Amino acid sequence: MPSARRVRRSGAAALVCALTLTALAACGTSSSSGDGGSGGSGSTDPAAPLDPKTKVSITIDCMPPAAKKAELKQWKEDVAAFNKIYPNVRIEGRSTPGQCLEPPRFTAMLKAKSQPDVFYTYFTDLPQVLSEDGAEDITAYVNDKTVPALKDIDPDVLGMLKRGDKLYGLPTSNYTMGLMINRKLFQRAGLDPDSPPRTWAEVRTAAKKIADLGNGIAGYGDYSAGNNGGWHFTAQMYSRGGDIVDASGKKAAFNNEIGRQLAKDLHAMRWEDGSMGKTQLLKWGDLQKQIASDKLGMFLAAPDNIAYMVQQLGADYDNFGMGPIPGGKHTLAGGNGYMIKKGISPDKIKAGIAWLNFKFTTVGKGQFDWARTKADGLPVGLPQPNFWQGDSKRKDDAERARNATMNVEAFRTFTDNPVPSKPEPPKAQEIYKILDNVMSGILTNEDADVDKLLDTAEQQVDQVLAKP
Amino acid sequence: MSTRTLISPAQLARPRGKRLYRAVFALVTGGFTLAFLGPLYWLISSGFKDAQEVIRTPPTLVPESFTPGNYSQAWDVMDLSTLLLNTLYYAFGALAFQLVLDVAAAYSLSRLRPLFGKAILGMMLATLMIPATVLVVPQYLTVLDVPVVERNLLNTPWAIWLPSVTNAFNIFLLKRFFDSVPKELLDAAAMDGASPLRVLWSIVLPISRPVLGVVSIFAVVGVWKDFLWPMLTLPDPAKQTLNVGIYSLSNGVPVNVLIAALTIASLPALIIFLIFQRNIMSGLTAGSLKG
Amino acid sequence: MAAPSLTPSKAGPPRTPAPRRTETPPGGGRFTLALRRHLTAHAFLIGAVLCFAVFSWYPMIREFFLAFQSTENGRTVWVGLDNFTTVINDPAFWQAWRNTLWFTVLALLLGFVVPFVLALVINEFRHGQGYLRLLVYLPVMLPPVAAVLLFQYLYDPGYGLLNELLGLLHLPEQQWLQDADIAMVSLVIASTWMNMGGATLIYLAALKNIPGELYEAAELDGAGLLRKIWHVTVPQTRLVLSLMLLMQIIATMQVFVEPFLLTGGAGPEGSTTTVVHLIYQYAFNFNDYGAAAALGLMLLVLLAGFSAAYVRLSRTEDA
Repeated sequence: MPSARRVRRSGAAALVCALTLTALAACGTSSSSGDGGSGGSGSTDPAAPLDPKTKVSITIDCMPPAAKKAELKQWKEDVAAFNKIYPNVRIEGRSTPGQCLEPPRFTAMLKAKSQPDVFYTYFTDLPQVLSEDGAEDITAYVNDKTVPALKDIDPDVLGMLKRGDKLYGLPTSNYTMGLMINRKLFQRAGLDPDSPPRTWAEVRTAAKKIADLGNGIAGYGDYSAGNNGGWHFTAQMYSRGGDIVDASGKKAAFNNEIGRQLAKDLHAMRWEDGSMGKTQLLKWGDLQKQIASDKLGMFLAAPDNIAYMVQQLGADYDNFGMGPIPGGKHTLAGGNGYMIKKGISPDKIKAGIAWLNFKFTTVGKGQFDWARTKADGLPVGLPQPNFWQGDSKRKDDAERARNATMNVEAFRTFTDNPVPSKPEPPKAQEIYKILDNVMSGILTNEDADVDKLLDTAEQQVDQVLAKP
Repeated sequence: MSTRTLISPAQLARPRGKRLYRAVFALVTGGFTLAFLGPLYWLISSGFKDAQEVIRTPPTLVPESFTPGNYSQAWDVMDLSTLLLNTLYYAFGALAFQLVLDVAAAYSLSRLRPLFGKAILGMMLATLMIPATVLVVPQYLTVLDVPVVERNLLNTPWAIWLPSVTNAFNIFLLKRFFDSVPKELLDAAAMDGASPLRVLWSIVLPISRPVLGVVSIFAVVGVWKDFLWPMLTLPDPAKQTLNVGIYSLSNGVPVNVLIAALTIASLPALIIFLIFQRNIMSGLTAGSLKG
Repeated sequence: MAAPSLTPSKAGPPRTPAPRRTETPPGGGRFTLALRRHLTAHAFLIGAVLCFAVFSWYPMIREFFLAFQSTENGRTVWVGLDNFTTVINDPAFWQAWRNTLWFTVLALLLGFVVPFVLALVINEFRHGQGYLRLLVYLPVMLPPVAAVLLFQYLYDPGYGLLNELLGLLHLPEQQWLQDADIAMVSLVIASTWMNMGGATLIYLAALKNIPGELYEAAELDGAGLLRKIWHVTVPQTRLVLSLMLLMQIIATMQVFVEPFLLTGGAGPEGSTTTVVHLIYQYAFNFNDYGAAAALGLMLLVLLAGFSAAYVRLSRTEDA
């Protein structure tokens, strides 16, 4: 050891200090992403459309992931086409491999104010987004110049993104739930795939027949985890004419005869008939996998599930059909859209709206370019998303029909028998979480005490509703 | 064999002892092989099954529908290389931070006797008793807006690296080891006028290799295995870790492709382990015992 | 990012010889010296201390404040004990505590006892030890999410391998994760499989350090197998055992991935909802940081009491 070399203590101290300071100071990644650089002049009038000379870059989430090859290709084509009109707007897409919006990550993102400039939300997220002050009021920016088809967007759908008179987003899709069926299994079980069951009693009979095919095939499937159980419990309550929360918005409304009957029917299908399969605690994605691999006969879903199953699970879309939701009193309606991050520059807001309009709310363009969708091997002819009315609806429906790649007949009963739609309850995610327990109780416990499950859930939901 | 264990060699030498030994040995070895290699075989082989066979009842022991395409599909879809590189970047960064800051701190607490040293050590060790998950909420809010410097560390590696330094267990191990370094050795160096840094570098660290090895393994494995924290602090898909990436993927692909993806995700670590198993295992046990 | 390294060559410019301790004049110099010594010592400490302060101690204090606050529409107000009442009145509250306790007991039975027994047995083997150690440590290296999802596949009551094996052994099939009575056991099995490698190796190493003469002496006293274990093996490995027990409890309290992925967190009829999961639920699903902090504070107090008891116990034992 070279003992002659001596290092001053203060030197050592300085070193360690310096290391620490670099460590902290080097955390130099700023939180704000507001450096798009609006080089163009940009009109100060929010109602004016984006000046094509404006140089701006925006980030957008829910770009299709690599697994959705065809949709990703379309996204890229659309960005290129959009850049022909607005050569100075840079679109930075972000993608997630699985489900694009997961509530915990979404909550974290809002809390952190780290959402992209243009961010994806479910219709039910609006209260949460507003309570975190996360979205820009875009009422002034959205008009018939910036979104020419505005007047033809179903006001009910647009209303989902409004609070009072203020508009906070643009819709990209909407859905109402129906009964998705596997046509192949229906045929094998001797059922008519063109007339899916219309009541819950018929569902039970059909499920039994399908399950009798054996080989681990389930007749009817439902979720019981990840808040999805509660979501479907809600859909079933609606379909039977029931409700989850009463008109005052302060009391649970499912602990009644309708709720009990629902629970008892499911319990009987699971345990008496054995027609709901053994595997439970399923969440979104699981039933899709089952029905895509011909292990499941029926489940409640929106039509857009088919695009997912064809693209990501390699299913054959001719294999599916849909009927209206059994019971048919009301059907759960929902959807999603994009909002604009609070506090970004007016030019960015305009660029974001221009892109959303191009990609999602223009008949014949973007997601409504049915000829291209057909060419890319994706299903055309699904009844949803469809938030158009008036002229736009006529044009779009005609295009869909002309390019239909799938058996539109398979959806005939769904489209011909529209069920009045009903939005999700307030504090939806919290209530769904509670109702998950009801579903998992029914589906995993042969000796489940239905009354007790509903009592407990009612008490919990009342508590959630009582909170400010 | 020179070491004497629980059962005496004389007992084992008896015919009955021999038979019993063989039976137990066969049972344990067979059981272990089944219990630990079985699931891995199942993982790899199921990745070769087609969408139907993978969920067939009863399951097939050997894939009948040989579908290696699952693996290439899984590789493409998952973007495994990015996830793996991200994870390694976070893990080795955390290792570097811990090696520098935690070693310095442990050395100071052990040898330099700073004012309030005991209290500081006590406060550090106290954090051991608090599950990280309990503190996840305030910790998360802190990362969103770090006090004083007012930075948002979300989606940056710092959100992983800096909190990883608060590893009281590693500091404890290091301090215990430094405590055991003979005092005479250090005093002699100090008499020669060597600075504390010099003593640490030239005397303490060279004889601390075993414990440094252990601390390094703990540091890397800690990041490799973490799930909740990276899920919350790295929401940007391009910056995710392997664990979070697989989780995101898990309900977006068919079962057989998912299983192929799990296999691919597991292989790198298994291969590294098989190559360095001797170092990893001996380092792990030797160090933690002396600590 | 290049990691800062501790090379001495970087350690400051002019290397003037520091005064030797023995040469320092008495009086005021001693004070300067002591000050300098403390400054140096704290210079070494500061990096880690800052990290602890920002990412550990400050969040602890903040947890305390959060528990008494509530945020609505961006405004934070003091709400007294409201968060605590909310949490305690949640029907899931007591269930979560029961589940956590049950999980801890199970995890200790399986995760603490099994590795020790296995280590005892393996240590007796005259060959094959390397292979067995390798096997038991293999799962530790897997990414936990991959291991957990593999278990989900094995546990599936329809096409899962485990039920198939039970069938071959003529045992009744199980619902595993979907049966409120055994869901927790299934979680602990998966968790033990994934994590017991480390503990087994550490016990093995501890066993190898026991001097053989102790066993010989015990045999001379006529001790049988169990008595040898109880009177020689256990006392000789007590330090390691107690340390591992402590770590096991801490790990158990933090378990998150297994229930989160295998049973969606809540599990059948909420049977796998743990306190930690409930905290997560409040914070990241219900967006109620106050309730999350209140519940976290309760867990924190419990664990603090527990650790104090532990420290006391180990002191009296040493005395």
